[in-house]
Amino acid sequence: MKNLDLEIITPSKPVYHGEILSITIPGTDGSFQVLRNHAPLMSNFEVGSIKITEANNNQVLFATSGGTVEVLHNKILILADSLERADEINLTRAEESAKRAQERLAKKGRGEVDVSRAEAALNRALNRLRIAKGL
Amino acid sequence: MATLRDIRNRIKGVQSTQKITKAMKMVAAAKLRRAQDSIINARPFTRKLKEMLKHLVTDHDRESNPFLNERDVKKVLVVVVSAERGLCGAFNTNIIKEASSLYAALIKDGKEPSLYCVGKKGYDFFRKRNYNMTGFKTGVFNGLKYDTALQLSKLFIEGYLSGQFDQIVVVYNEFKSVVSQKVVRETYLPVPVIEASQKGIHEEVDYIYEPGQKAIFERLLSIDLRAQVWRILLESNASEFGSRMTAMENATNNARDLIKALKLKYNKERQAAITKEILEIVSGANALKG
Repeated sequence: MKNLDLEIITPSKPVYHGEILSITIPGTDGSFQVLRNHAPLMSNFEVGSIKITEANNNQVLFATSGGTVEVLHNKILILADSLERADEINLTRAEESAKRAQERLAKKGRGEVDVSRAEAALNRALNRLRIAKGL
Repeated sequence: MATLRDIRNRIKGVQSTQKITKAMKMVAAAKLRRAQDSIINARPFTRKLKEMLKHLVTDHDRESNPFLNERDVKKVLVVVVSAERGLCGAFNTNIIKEASSLYAALIKDGKEPSLYCVGKKGYDFFRKRNYNMTGFKTGVFNGLKYDTALQLSKLFIEGYLSGQFDQIVVVYNEFKSVVSQKVVRETYLPVPVIEASQKGIHEEVDYIYEPGQKAIFERLLSIDLRAQVWRILLESNASEFGSRMTAMENATNNARDLIKALKLKYNKERQAAITKEILEIVSGANALKG
């Protein structure tokens, strides 16, 4: 076997399991790529996109809201709160949540909104939109 | 004595009730299957996460991590997970019974308990009886979403860290199988002791930690706390449908027995009436002959 074994699991369901050539992850200390024979690694990652190249050179893009990855003996395990394939993102839902978050932020002068939470929600929604549109 | 018409009406009434309970049973069965699938989908995540936590935990975390550290317990939050609707057997009753006995026991111990109700049934019960309630969330189980679990866990974690509560206990129905649900109490925070695995691979392998072992442990722990709320909601949801399905099946069977008994009575009455009429005709004819 000359590929990497990738498993992506979220609390809602296992998202992906298959053989890949490479994966790019938005790590906390900067984005990095994992290829075959990578050193054992555990890392957190933040809101952003995860890009994988499958064994047949097919590229797949995922949107994530952050999680943890473990790399060991050419096996990669990703645990995340949420992770969606770019082609499975619900555009209308993402747009709605972006709008909701923006409305909440607009009210922040009145001091009744949790600003950091609204910002995080906006960030997640924009990330999903960006990835779904392939930008 | 009931006339023939009365019995006929009752049979009709019972029959339409039976139709409803039968339909409710079918709906519950379909929803149960989906709820079970969600539980099964959530399992691999919990298992892997627990494994990683066990590998990563250090003695230092046990003392310094606020989620693992036990405090003197004074203020206890009891989270009651009930259903949105009734007609599901003893599901809500059991939960309410367990929660109120826990509440009473805490008061007796000199603690300060307060309730957080998830689901309308529990909320209605405790509100009417003036229990000390910090909050409630209803409408959760009409289309269960992971976002709900995120919101709830955030609320609990913030309450715990700010010192609003020293301990958080969840009372919910655990899904054993379709026919059996068990009411359980589970301590949500502080996190029960995580045993380090014996000589795990993480001691033999020289990992690169980014940004650091502690940060990763904390991240995983916070994901675990969210995933646990999600699991509890899923378990309770599946239990509710299981319980409703059983209750509605029983109701349907009871209706069937009742209809059978009523039909027997109806036919007896009908035959008695016919016999009576024949007797009257015969005796009338005899009287004319004589």
